[in-house]
Amino acid sequence: MVALLVLPIISSDRFLIDRFGRYFLFAIFALSVDLIWGYGGMFTFGHAAFFGGGGYIVGMLTTRSGWVLPVPFWMALVAAVATSALLAVALSYFVFSGKGALRGVEFAVVTLAVAVIAERLANAGGSVSGGQNGILMQSRLGIPGVISLHRGYGFYALTGLLLVATYVGLKWFLQTRSGLIIRGIRENEDRVDLLGYEVPLIKRRTFVLSGALAGMAGALFYVHEGIVSPTAVGVSASTLVLLWVVLGGRGTLLGPIIGAIILPHLTASLSGTLLDTWLVVVGVILVLVIVVFPSGIFGFLSKARDV
Amino acid sequence: MRTRRLWVVATAFTLIAAACGGDDEVTPPSGDPIVIGIIADLTGAFATYGNSLTRSAELAVKEVNAAGGIDGRPVQIIKEDIQSDVTATVDKARKLVESDNVDLVMGPIGSDANDAAYQTVVQEGGKLLFYTETYEGGKCDPLYFSFGAVPAQQIRPMIPILQDEYGTNVMLFGADYVWPRRSFEIAKPIIADGGGTVVSELYLPLIADDFSELVQEVRDKQPDYIFSLYPALWGAALKALDDAALLDGLGVGTIFLGDGDYLGIADLAENSYTALPYFTVAEGAAAEDFLTAFQAEYGADQFPSGGEGVGAYDAVWMYKEAVEKAGSTDPTAVAEELVGLSFDGPTGKVTMTSSHHLEQTINLVQARNGQYVLVDSFSDRDPEEACDL
Repeated sequence: MVALLVLPIISSDRFLIDRFGRYFLFAIFALSVDLIWGYGGMFTFGHAAFFGGGGYIVGMLTTRSGWVLPVPFWMALVAAVATSALLAVALSYFVFSGKGALRGVEFAVVTLAVAVIAERLANAGGSVSGGQNGILMQSRLGIPGVISLHRGYGFYALTGLLLVATYVGLKWFLQTRSGLIIRGIRENEDRVDLLGYEVPLIKRRTFVLSGALAGMAGALFYVHEGIVSPTAVGVSASTLVLLWVVLGGRGTLLGPIIGAIILPHLTASLSGTLLDTWLVVVGVILVLVIVVFPSGIFGFLSKARDV
Repeated sequence: MRTRRLWVVATAFTLIAAACGGDDEVTPPSGDPIVIGIIADLTGAFATYGNSLTRSAELAVKEVNAAGGIDGRPVQIIKEDIQSDVTATVDKARKLVESDNVDLVMGPIGSDANDAAYQTVVQEGGKLLFYTETYEGGKCDPLYFSFGAVPAQQIRPMIPILQDEYGTNVMLFGADYVWPRRSFEIAKPIIADGGGTVVSELYLPLIADDFSELVQEVRDKQPDYIFSLYPALWGAALKALDDAALLDGLGVGTIFLGDGDYLGIADLAENSYTALPYFTVAEGAAAEDFLTAFQAEYGADQFPSGGEGVGAYDAVWMYKEAVEKAGSTDPTAVAEELVGLSFDGPTGKVTMTSSHHLEQTINLVQARNGQYVLVDSFSDRDPEEACDL
């Protein structure tokens, strides 16, 4: 944590600073997944539909014309968060309510389908979604003429603050009644249900919070990239985030942050230096870490400290 | 007087001889290197093409350095694996431009990645971008140059030959994205001018699950030949047509099936025509030298694929000439010198037009008895891009 704070001071490489800003958004995405999977026990295979979906909403609202479009970026960002939340509301009514409420593998399969459908829609969306080529965006983060938060130090500060706010917010949420119940649901859903707690409501609430967080992080991420294309909402992007969470430590708040910084940074650095073998090296490291530290890097560290 | 004049003449001859002999001993390049960044699809879906591009560029750089470098300076390549992924493309392009401060960026393969690279390298970074893959054309910017083939170059020579052999009714079949769609818009007037009729135009997703729609369409519309821009799963599409016993007597033309891709589906692609800048059967000493040098470097079973490799090779050599003419690596100055520049590359003479797309030779091959046979070679094909810079 301290290292990340002083990074801009010790390094003058504007690009490296910028890269860490991206990892902070990955970290928020990883936290959103950890919230429902690590704390709520709801395994998701499709969370990139929210992260990439946020990017698509911003892309469509800021680049397409007609009616009130295009709208300024900040308005589009609000819309992206709202749309992600609404999508999560709709989906969670469908999967968590009534007698046919889905759990475990069934829920995972539904989320997988969501990612597959999202990628297809993005591909087939013609001039609305830009098809295979996606949407190029010209929006810049910041206030034009006043402050630029789009690249480098500004971006690092913006995303860093958001990450801290997300971390603090989630820490608080997990202490609330809902947060405690969702952890109970992970341990034994039936028992929590029998005790009279409103399981579907709490699951919905958590899922919507998670979807909105992912949507916000994705909207900022893809504006910073300047392009969003179908793979952003697909299955492989959804699986990558699971790796970050597992690597860092599921069911902790610092773990996913560590995973979402270490793994993308390892990938980005090694794929420029070990051109022919980096995939194997990253794969071996992943397997080793998961075999040696089944509870993730942070999970291992915190256990070691407790002992 | 007389002896003295003779001495002068003799000295002059000696000097000339020494100067000529000096060609064999090139001064090794020295000083700050000129750095070329390659955003390379070394892994993922486009790995074949990304490796072909990178290897050809590295071969050219090695030769350029052996010939004294660019303006006496050594040339260095920094390559970054973009994993056939758009997000990685943006990240790596920014690294090359901002952190490594390269003089030129080459790559990538995918046309979405090209959009991303264009935005990052040219618009955001103010650097030159050389794109060497076959693509739909249409990009127009002072700092953007295309060294690959564009639709009109490949389509114009091929359509009459398919029409002569199979008939006038054509089906346009493509993957549902910008390259096939724009190519077909360019093909339609060419087909109509030649007296042909488009009986069907069908698009399926780039990675389709099944080809029953294609089979049904061929059954219903009975085209004489299919003009296909369905690159990723072309073998699977041909298999579906073959299973439905529709492939016999049906003509096939593509503009993407380079040597490597063809070998994988040779039994299904028999009789197919393909138009691309480069094939291993391309004629001419330069084409043979290129293949020999490539295989000496990378192994006898390796070869550059279709267009992006030879494009990258041309691009490095033309960059050298343009930088030397401009006397600097300033992107705008180099861009100005590139326009109108000609180079004798592996496929013959290529010229950078004012549209920033390359006038070049297109080779047309047909698959006969399990291998490509050169049908014809069309030199100086105009890219026919409307861009005027």
